[in-house]
Amino acid sequence: MNKELEHNFVTNLEQNQNIVHKVCRIYTSDKESHNDLFQEITIQLWKAYPKFRGDAKFSTWMYRVALNTAITLYRKSKRSIKTADLDSLSFRIKADEYDDEVEQQLKLMYAAVKQLNDIEKALVFLYLEDKSYKEISETMGISEVNARVKMNRVKTKLKKILNP
Amino acid sequence: MDELELLKKDWKKQEQGLPKLSYNEIYQMILQKSSSMVKWIFIISILEFVLWFSIDIGARLSSSYSKVEDLGMGGFSIFTMVISYSVLLYFMIKFYNNYKKIQTTDSAKVLMQNILNTRKTVRHYVWVNLTVLGAIVISTILYMLFFTDEFTKALSGGVVPVISVIIVAIIITLLFIGLLALVYRFVYGILTRRLKQNYKELEKLDL
Repeated sequence: MNKELEHNFVTNLEQNQNIVHKVCRIYTSDKESHNDLFQEITIQLWKAYPKFRGDAKFSTWMYRVALNTAITLYRKSKRSIKTADLDSLSFRIKADEYDDEVEQQLKLMYAAVKQLNDIEKALVFLYLEDKSYKEISETMGISEVNARVKMNRVKTKLKKILNP
Repeated sequence: MDELELLKKDWKKQEQGLPKLSYNEIYQMILQKSSSMVKWIFIISILEFVLWFSIDIGARLSSSYSKVEDLGMGGFSIFTMVISYSVLLYFMIKFYNNYKKIQTTDSAKVLMQNILNTRKTVRHYVWVNLTVLGAIVISTILYMLFFTDEFTKALSGGVVPVISVIIVAIIITLLFIGLLALVYRFVYGILTRRLKQNYKELEKLDL
């Protein structure tokens, strides 16, 4: 039984691991802390898995646990050094598909997102993931109206960072 | 075009560049131990219970309490023992119930609230202990001063005025408690600073 549970979990996570990687990208700035956070999220997912019932989609359930781990449970390990500025610029890899101006703007956008606080990052992340305001409000535990209001504020804040 | 929309489009393209872990790599991860904040909070809280309780036990086993009994305060000593055991039991049960409520599948806000509540229980336990400790020390001193022969004799000799003995004793007790509170605040602050910040941020949103 336990083996079967393990197998189901690992297979599910293997298929949906992008979600966790993306959370790590938003919240960490170097490879080592990325892996560190990935590992902690995996452990938390595994701990919560026995209570996971098939009524929700595995991926939906993952968003919640992953974000909760990143915002609340994760303690940055000592070895993570602040390399945020350098890294956010090299964050993107597929550069050749854009013209220079768009490219430049995107670089600045990623750098700007890195400057947001943990909660704002979570909102931006869920927004980028195409989540509805209903889902965003349920994941964060705030009302839908407030999620919307805050999202608009974050947009303004990002604009300000980009065009000071 | 909205900057965030531009970012969203690019964000989707990023997926191809994400690391890809194998089945085995993920399997290895679930065998590892968590180093989450909740785990540390749990460990530190248990240590706090053990520490404060062992101070109490230590005081009972050492001569400090037998001195109290010699002074004719045996009944008082039993009374404080009953109190401190029931206080410990009450807080342990409360702590356990709060701890059980911590679920990563809750919303971010509820999760943070539950973690903070768990900490709050332990903090209350420490405060109750400090208060009881202070009250016992002060009342013992007062009792000794006014009701035991040894001290009343010394005092009536007029070497030291009673009031100054009382004041000095109270000041020392308060200083000791204040120092402990400071250390405690410092440790507690480090542990939950980020959590509190994020919780405040979420609360601000819901105003």
